[in-house]
Amino acid sequence: MIKMINDKNSQKIVDIIQNWSRKHSIWVLAYGTGCGAIEIPPTMTSRYDAERMGVRGAATPRQADVLLITGYLTTKTLKRVLRVYEQMQDPKYVIGFGSCTINGGMYYDSYNTIKVLDKYLPVDVYINGCMPRPEAVLAGFGKLQELIGEGKANGATKYKENLEWYRANQKKVIPTWKRPEYNW
Amino acid sequence: MEFTIYTLLGIIATIVLAFVVGMTYMGLSRKIIARIQNRKGPPVYQNFIDVMKLYSKTTAINHGFMQHVGPAFLMVASIMALMVVPVLNEGRWFGNLNFSGDLVFLLYIMVFGPLGMALGAGQTGNPNSAIGVTRGLSQMVGFEIPWVMALVALMIQFNTTSIVDLLNIQTESGIWLMFSSPFAFIAAVLAMLGMFRYSPFDIVGAPTELASGPVSENGGKYLFTMMSSSSIFAFAKLVLYVDIFMGGAGNLVELLLKTFAIYLIPMLYGAVSPRYRTEQAIRYFWGWPTFFGLLAIIYAVVF
Amino acid sequence: MEKIKANLIEHVKSSFPEASATNHDGNRLDFTVKKECIPSILTNFKDILGYIHLSHITCVDWLEEGEFEMIYIVWSPEDKIKIFVRTRVERDNPVMPNIDMIWRQANTYEREFREMYGIQFTGLVGAEEFILEDWDGPPPMRRDFDTEKYAEETFFHRPGREDALDVREEIIKRSLEEIPDYAKKYSR
Repeated sequence: MIKMINDKNSQKIVDIIQNWSRKHSIWVLAYGTGCGAIEIPPTMTSRYDAERMGVRGAATPRQADVLLITGYLTTKTLKRVLRVYEQMQDPKYVIGFGSCTINGGMYYDSYNTIKVLDKYLPVDVYINGCMPRPEAVLAGFGKLQELIGEGKANGATKYKENLEWYRANQKKVIPTWKRPEYNW
Repeated sequence: MEFTIYTLLGIIATIVLAFVVGMTYMGLSRKIIARIQNRKGPPVYQNFIDVMKLYSKTTAINHGFMQHVGPAFLMVASIMALMVVPVLNEGRWFGNLNFSGDLVFLLYIMVFGPLGMALGAGQTGNPNSAIGVTRGLSQMVGFEIPWVMALVALMIQFNTTSIVDLLNIQTESGIWLMFSSPFAFIAAVLAMLGMFRYSPFDIVGAPTELASGPVSENGGKYLFTMMSSSSIFAFAKLVLYVDIFMGGAGNLVELLLKTFAIYLIPMLYGAVSPRYRTEQAIRYFWGWPTFFGLLAIIYAVVF
Repeated sequence: MEKIKANLIEHVKSSFPEASATNHDGNRLDFTVKKECIPSILTNFKDILGYIHLSHITCVDWLEEGEFEMIYIVWSPEDKIKIFVRTRVERDNPVMPNIDMIWRQANTYEREFREMYGIQFTGLVGAEEFILEDWDGPPPMRRDFDTEKYAEETFFHRPGREDALDVREEIIKRSLEEIPDYAKKYSR
């Protein structure tokens, strides 16, 4: 009986059910970090309805699954976003929105914004555009759903395993900030 | 012996029925409100998916022992309220543990849940939860007055505090209590708008108000407990209304139809109305609903 | 309008003989004064002449001449004339008088100049950090601060980025490309 419960096939069945339920109910944290946040309300309301995919807004990081980094990130906002990201519960995903998260976008020569988001936070899906239209946003959510269904959306575990590397990168831009020690 | 086994199985069956029906009604309400807003909504079983996802979160964050207390109290209060209400008129299943002091016991149990959640929210140390809990309890002061007046009017009129007696009176005389004590019905329906926490009285738990009030530090399995307990509690309140005012139900299909008819009232009114602040809500409840409650008591005493 | 402007120029020249005035078309008027006269001339405008609205304060960096130029714009709702009051400060150790006892909103402007240009104001009260947090480089809005070089050194860049392409060439190049099927109904 114990062997039947603990073998790999039953773990696969549990994984399939869990991934299916995580795929169809995604709660997005209502936090607009940059100018791309103006494309979120049209996506969530009547015309380009995102609720039929199960996507709805959540109020606090403790209840949310997905952190949408919409647009540019200054070093001041990066501090706050890191704190919010570490308050969310596993399994969590990050979507990079707009071309400023990919290669710096319009602000490629600015002294205050970070250019490549991937070195500071683990990103699962990029949506490019300046700003992406609501149809593009819905396509991005569809891609995230595909990745979750196959079990490949592993940004959170990547963050935990490579914590030292991420921390070194973050310290380069935010020199004077004490971080707590984690015992994951 | 047989009796206890049937009662125990009946209790488990009632809890499962309440969970399934409550979640389906909440999903249906999301679909109906979406259609009113000219869009397609989520599928009807969306709340089950939400609940499964919340259950399968792999890390848990808590701030101490008292934070477990909040959702636990809420669940316990909902199940106790469900046990006291008889779900079906006759039959051995679903008879539940009702006794002759039902209504008074129910009035106390309905306040017990939010109190426990206040304890849990205080432990987290988040000021949003503290303010949200204060708002919820003050609103409860508002709608309890017409609700208690309506029930007291019924108790005076028929000299009983047991729900089963009220059911028997309705089947004997053949008229529903909705028509034979109309003012109590009107006062109770107006109080129901506050009980279900839909618009315009949803300032306590809405996500845009103070980061969703008392729920703000709970994620994962705590939120799963809160959502399931709110759906069980909603089913218990709906069945209570059907039993007292609409003559109970003979079989499950009739029960579902009648509870859905009563559920439409706060849902449809909530789809079109904006949100009240706490003092506006209390001022509303101490206006016309209390007036109807007083009329109900006078009607019960005189006639 | 011209009479009002002529009256103004005469009034200001009588109280401040070192001021020089330039008349522009329409409703603009310029005065250039020394930096020590700024509080008194602005008080004069606000209390006596009725120019009660401080529209803007801005700063121009004249790198070749080695000076900053501060411009104060005041407006009167009765005369409907914009007056630009200009001064020059030396660039090496700039100290300007503080005017936030005349208009309170000047406090925010002056804190911005202190952070972005490095200009000190005497007796200015307000936190040191205004917009940038943990900033330990030179004041960013000066013209001799090369933001592109700074950004290249501090941040990571993604390789493969092409900048400053010619727009017309790119349009011609891309219009000869194959349009994929799903985009056919949107192209002209």
